Order: sequence, then structure tokens, then C-alpha cells
Amino acid sequence: MFRRFAISFFLVLVGVCAWSRTRPHYGGMLHVEITGDPWNGADGLARRLILDGLTRLGNDGTVQPALAVDWQSDDAAHHWQFRLRSGVQFHDGSPLTAIVVVQSLNLSCNANCPWTTVRAVGSSVFFTADSPMPHLPALLAEDNFLIALPVMSDGTTPANLIGTGPFRFAASNHGILSLTASESCWQGRPFVDSIEIRAHRAIHDQWLDLSVGRADVVEVPPEELRQAGQQRLVIAASPPVELLALQISDSGALANPMLRASIAAAIDRDALFNVIFQKQGEVTASLLPQKLTGYSFLFPAERDLNKAHALRGGLTTPPLTLGFEGDGAMQLAAQRLALNLHEAGFDVQTPDAHLDAHFDAHHASHPDFLLRELPLEGADPAAAMEVLLHAAGETVAVSEQSPPALFEVEHTYLDRKTLVPLLNLPRAYAIGSRVRDLELRADGTPDLASASLEDAP
Amino acid sequence: MRRFGLSVVLCIAVRFAANAAPAPSPWEQPAAMLAEQIANILGPGQVRLTLRNLSSIPANEMPAIQHFLEQDLKAHGMTVAGEESADAVRVTLSENTRQRLWVAEVVEGDQMRVAMVELAPDQPAPILAAGGLLLRKETVITAQQPILSALETAHALLVLEPGQIVIFARAINGWQEQKRVNLTGNAPFARDPRGILVVSQDGTGFEGWFPGMHCTGSLPPANDATAQCGASDDPWAIAARGAPQSLAFTNASAITGGSPPALKAFYNATRNYFTGVVSPSLDVELPAFYSAALLPRSAGNTALLIAGIDGKVRLAENGGVSPVEGARDWGSDLGVIRSGCGSGAQIIASGSGEAISDSLRAYELPALEAVPVSAPLAMQGTITAIWPAPDAKSVYAAVRTAADQYEVDRVSALCN
Repeated sequence: MFRRFAISFFLVLVGVCAWSRTRPHYGGMLHVEITGDPWNGADGLARRLILDGLTRLGNDGTVQPALAVDWQSDDAAHHWQFRLRSGVQFHDGSPLTAIVVVQSLNLSCNANCPWTTVRAVGSSVFFTADSPMPHLPALLAEDNFLIALPVMSDGTTPANLIGTGPFRFAASNHGILSLTASESCWQGRPFVDSIEIRAHRAIHDQWLDLSVGRADVVEVPPEELRQAGQQRLVIAASPPVELLALQISDSGALANPMLRASIAAAIDRDALFNVIFQKQGEVTASLLPQKLTGYSFLFPAERDLNKAHALRGGLTTPPLTLGFEGDGAMQLAAQRLALNLHEAGFDVQTPDAHLDAHFDAHHASHPDFLLRELPLEGADPAAAMEVLLHAAGETVAVSEQSPPALFEVEHTYLDRKTLVPLLNLPRAYAIGSRVRDLELRADGTPDLASASLEDAP
Repeated sequence: MRRFGLSVVLCIAVRFAANAAPAPSPWEQPAAMLAEQIANILGPGQVRLTLRNLSSIPANEMPAIQHFLEQDLKAHGMTVAGEESADAVRVTLSENTRQRLWVAEVVEGDQMRVAMVELAPDQPAPILAAGGLLLRKETVITAQQPILSALETAHALLVLEPGQIVIFARAINGWQEQKRVNLTGNAPFARDPRGILVVSQDGTGFEGWFPGMHCTGSLPPANDATAQCGASDDPWAIAARGAPQSLAFTNASAITGGSPPALKAFYNATRNYFTGVVSPSLDVELPAFYSAALLPRSAGNTALLIAGIDGKVRLAENGGVSPVEGARDWGSDLGVIRSGCGSGAQIIASGSGEAISDSLRAYELPALEAVPVSAPLAMQGTITAIWPAPDAKSVYAAVRTAADQYEVDRVSALCN
């Protein structure tokens, strides 16, 4: 049992303790390299540096004020009022107003919004929904709902993102995004003068750049954590902040719940954990991790091939498609899952490496299964569950707070077998020797605005 | 196929009365609650009971917990038997980040039902410091917002937060908020803003400095609490008037006695440090520094101790500035207390180590090498500022806790 929880505690501790107690210096340029896109998804570091949300998750996972100073709801959580912080300016000098916030939210959330309407009244933003939104403050801390200036004072649409965050867009050339410190940031000017983010950089090129001082912060995927440790990189690693899960379509060939249950029973999580992800993270069959609920062990994670065959019975399906988000380890994991399902009598196809590079968007968005990484954030288990399910495309209000009630909600949801939890995965970054005070946010991404440079002038 | 069900769950809080004798076992009540739920599911009869521990409860507590469970099950007409029993109960002692959770998986035939009992986590035992001096701390106030400085008098407590001063009056049940004075209108503050509050020269009011701003006000009981603030680039007082450790040297030469003015230092409002220019001038060139304190010396003079932005600690004394040895593990914040222990005065410095929480430690400086005279006092988070109390017998520390809350702790010393 404990083997499964064998996340590298050494690495986690290094990450947690990557602060020192002397005050930070101002100045200098921080060089960051990433594999993905700086604007989108979990790698979208630039969005978090330029934009703020109405709320944010604190380092301990609790919801904290950001552009909103406080909020309140009616008893049923159908109506929410968020009062905006006064005196906040966008990077172009225009003021943050409730009208601008509403415009931004309407642009960023035109489908699968937790609310029905959002409107501006004075310096407050009001949300209304037909269904309760008990954890709207936590949802508003998500990347999707960061506030960007939609229209400039001259009526034109900004060419680049303009926000209220600690850094402002400066330039983008040859795959390098340049950001400069916002002197008027409401949170205070960040310590470094500027940040350069080099995007779409292969992991081992990132590590090479780190070793020769060309990069200060680079990525370490979970499956590379062991190797990074062997190379004696200084690593900041988060606790598990992502849920690797298999999302199963409940229509078409897999409309029969017995087939979905068969698929869930056929999955070999141990193989994913041991082989693909190099024993990083935790094996799980629950939505929320053990540390958050204390009852995760009640969901059996062992593979049961006999049960899978029994559940499938004589039912046959046409060839099924298993899509995946990301690349590298995710593709290997998808292939491993396809092998598991083949052993249970399912014919499953996954795109190969070549096809993945040109994977048809329409095809990818409608596979029978999708291997996904979903956010696992926050200290409040009910809010974390709601945010996770929202990321999976479902608006589910989780009002329950006690572990027994949450267990009941989670058990009922997982019994549908439309989402099969597989692993909880951490995020990690390797850090250069001149970087100080780099902390990881609750979502495991680095809080670059809190970092400073030892050799700053 | 197994069917899951869930019984009613009761939440109980276990309080530990460490000093009460005889102390009831903390496991008695949760064991009774869980046994009752199990009995409600299975009813009287034989049952197989297994127990496992996924929590931080020490292994040597397990026999006692098993004993309580068996005893309580028996009281409900259930007998703990061996493999021959068809019904099985697996109890898992678990926990999450907020509480302990005892979970019973009750298997009856091919059905499984779940019972849970929630327990409040126990409090860690206090660790007493040892050494020549014993540091102790008392929490004065906690807040959701960062606390930059605080000033505690007999009748009032002022708390400086980014953008406002909060004034509290002493009430029967603690501090009661009286007034908030807004400091907005000044330029955006630095990422790690700082500020200082000191008692005014006449002792009836206060003075405060915040980047780009100076405040004055009155305090109860002589007056109602008031505060007036305005833009200012004036230097900040880094040694309070009237305090026993107040400046006892002027213009480069250390002297004793007299009623000296406060030492003030110019602050870089867009950064987080003092420029090194002080008033009145000490006729020595000081480097930029994060914090400073006046330290009585054995010769009867007073020296200025500074924590430089280069990480070095220096002592300005007798017209010169000398590096202090033995301070490599100090952080950027320090203060001086007049404890009456040992040499009479000690430096209280934060650690620069990489522990999850910071610590404070007392040092003496007989020459130019700091000598630790207390064990480290663990704080509950990161120390963000240290400043002296008006009576100079203690220092205050602002601490950001792991839960992103802020508190002010009063730290004083006991002589061993």
C-alpha cells in the first residue's frame, strides 16, 4: 500500500524548502523554458503572470481575494456578489471596473459556464444561476476565468493580453516571450525586472540550458523526476496536483454501463505507475486524493481482469478510439491502456506518434475514450471536486462537506464509469542556482512573481 | 456485486487534557461511536475484526484502540471471532489534512457498507527550548491580511497592514477593533512592503512610516484613537524615542547618557531596504541594510547593528563599521531586547535556514562574534518582520503562517 504512495518525498521537501529567510533582491531577468504553450493549458505560465482572477488559490489551497476583495451569496448559492478591489489598473492604465470584468468573463466563458448570467452593478459583479454554485469563488480562481482587458480605451481590441498581473507583455520573437515587471501592480512590483519564457523547448534541451546557465527555471515531468534527481538538479516538486483519468463516452458504442464498468476493471494502474510514470505520484481510483479526504482507499484500484470479462459478457463493440491530451508519457500511457483493454476483449486504437503530430481535431474531440489530466487543487475537498468535474466538462454542485457525504457523492459519480481515475501526479521544476524564493502555487505551477535573483544588482 | 452503503456518521471532537489526571484515553469515545455504527449495520452476532493504521497515530496505540473496539462491539452484543464468521469488519484509522477519520468497511455476505467517525487532530506537544536563555512567545493578534508592524500599549493596539492602520482598544475579551485609517492614495507599494509604528515623543500618541507616507495619531486613554497620514519621504525611526536602548552616541563617537534623539534612516520606497543614510549622521558610511538595532556594549556605549542587503551583519561603533562573525545563518531581521539576563541585552535574530518554519534565537555579542545564548524558538511560519517593543524587554515578530494567515507574536526571554 505504502509503495503506491511512494512519491519522492525527498524531492517534495526540496521543493517546499526552496525559500530562504533573507529578504529578496530586486532586479534582473529570469529565464524560463517550457515544453508547451505559454498562453494555454497547464503550461500557460504567461497567462498567470499577466492576468489575475477575481479570486486566487493561496499556497495552502484556500480561496483568497484577488481582484475581488470579498464576496457573498444567498443561502442557496444561486446568487453571488463579488465586490471589486478599488484602485486597480490594467497595464495600459485603464481602470478595472465591474463592466470590464463582465465583458471579460462573457468572452472567456461562453459555454459550460457555472452561471447563467453575470452583470455589473456599481463596483460589484453579480452572478446568477439556476443551479446552486456553492464553490463559485474556487471556480473563479481557475485559468479560464482570468480577467483580460477586452477593449482598449480607443475602442480597439488589444493585440496582446492586457491584464492587471505582476508582469506585462513586452514582445514575442522567435518563440521567446518577453514580459516586464508592472511597476503599478496592485500586489506590488515583482522582484525581477523581466522574464523571458522560451516555449516549445524539449525537456532535455531545457536541462542542458539550465546546466550552462542559459535557463533559470525548467520543467521536470513526473516521469523524469527520478532522472532529474540522479542528475542532482535542484527541484521544486508539488504534491499531486493533477488527476490522470480516463474519460469514457457514455454514448455510442459505450452507452452500456456494463461495458464501461468492464473497461474500468480492466485497467492496470500499477503498470502506468511503475513503467510509464516511473513510480511518481500515487495510484488512485478516487477523484480526490487520500490526503484531502482520508477515504480514498475505499475505492479499489486493483486490476480485475476476470471481473472485466464477466462484466463484458458476450457483448462486443466496434473498434474504439482512445485519444489523449499532451504527448510523451501521455501517449505511452494511452498505448498501455489500449493493451489492457485488448486483454479484456476490446479493440482499441490509439494514434501513433506520427499521427499524433497531425491528430485531427475533430477526431480527437470525439474519441470513445480520452486520457486527460484534470486539476486537483485546493484545500476544500468539496470545492476541489467541483472544480475537477467542471474541468471534465460537467457542472456538478457539490454542497456536501463531511467526509461521509462527500464519499457518497464521489461514489455515486464514479459508479457511472464515465470518468475512471488512474493516478495523482505532481508537477515539478528544476531551478538554477541564482533563483531564490521560488514557491509553487496550489496548482503546482511556479509563482515567478515571488522569485528573485541572488545576483540581482 | 458489492453494494456500498453508508451509515449515519457522528462528528466528535477529541480534546487532549495533557495535564489532567487521570486522563481518559482519547480513543475511547471514537471507538464507542464506531462500534455503535457497526452494530447498527450488522446487529448482534459474530464478526471478524481487522484493524489497520494509515494515520499518524503511533503504532503502540493500536492495541488499546483494538481493545476499545472489541469491548464496545461486545457491549452491543457482537462477539469478535475468527475466520469462521461470515461477517467481517475492517477498520482503517485514516486521516486527511484537516482531521482524523476512522472508517469501518462492514462486509455482510456480498454487500459492503461503510461507517465513518471524524476526530479532531491532536495538538503537537509544546517543545521547550533549552540553553542559557529561554525564549517564549505569545500571539498578540492574527489577521488574514499581511501585518507589517504593530504597536501595543496598555490600552491600544495598532496594526499596520498594506494600505491601512487598524486601531484596536483593549476590551474584557481581548482586542476590539475601533477604527481603520486608509493609507491609499500613495504609489503602489513594493512586493514585500514594510512599515514601522513607534510611540510618539510625548508618549500619548504614535508615529508610523509606510513607503512614501508618514502618519501621526493619538492613543487612548489620554485621547481617542486618531490617525492622520500624508505623503512623505522623510526618514523612518529605527530606534524608538525613550526606549532604554535608544541611541547613546552622536556624530561618529559613542557616548553614554543624555537624552538622545531617535535614530532615523532613509527608506527606498520602491524596494525593501534602507539606503544606509541615517539621521543624525554617524559619520561613518553605512551600506544599504534591511534592519538595524541599537546594541548596548559592555564598555557602556551603544552600537548600531545592521543586517545588510548583501547578507552580512555589521556593527557600527566608535566611528567604524566592522563585520560580525557567527551571523552567517541569520536572516534579514533582527532586534535587541533588554532581558536583564546574561550581559543584560541580547540580539534576537531570525534564522536563514531552510526549515519549513522560521525560528528566532538569542545571541550576545561580547566582541565581534555572535554567541548563541538560547535554543532556537520555532515560529509557526515565515518571519516577515521584527521590531522592538516600546519597553525594549521583548521584540515583536510578524509571521506568515502555512495557512497564509498572519500573526504578531511577542517574544521575550526568561533567565535560566
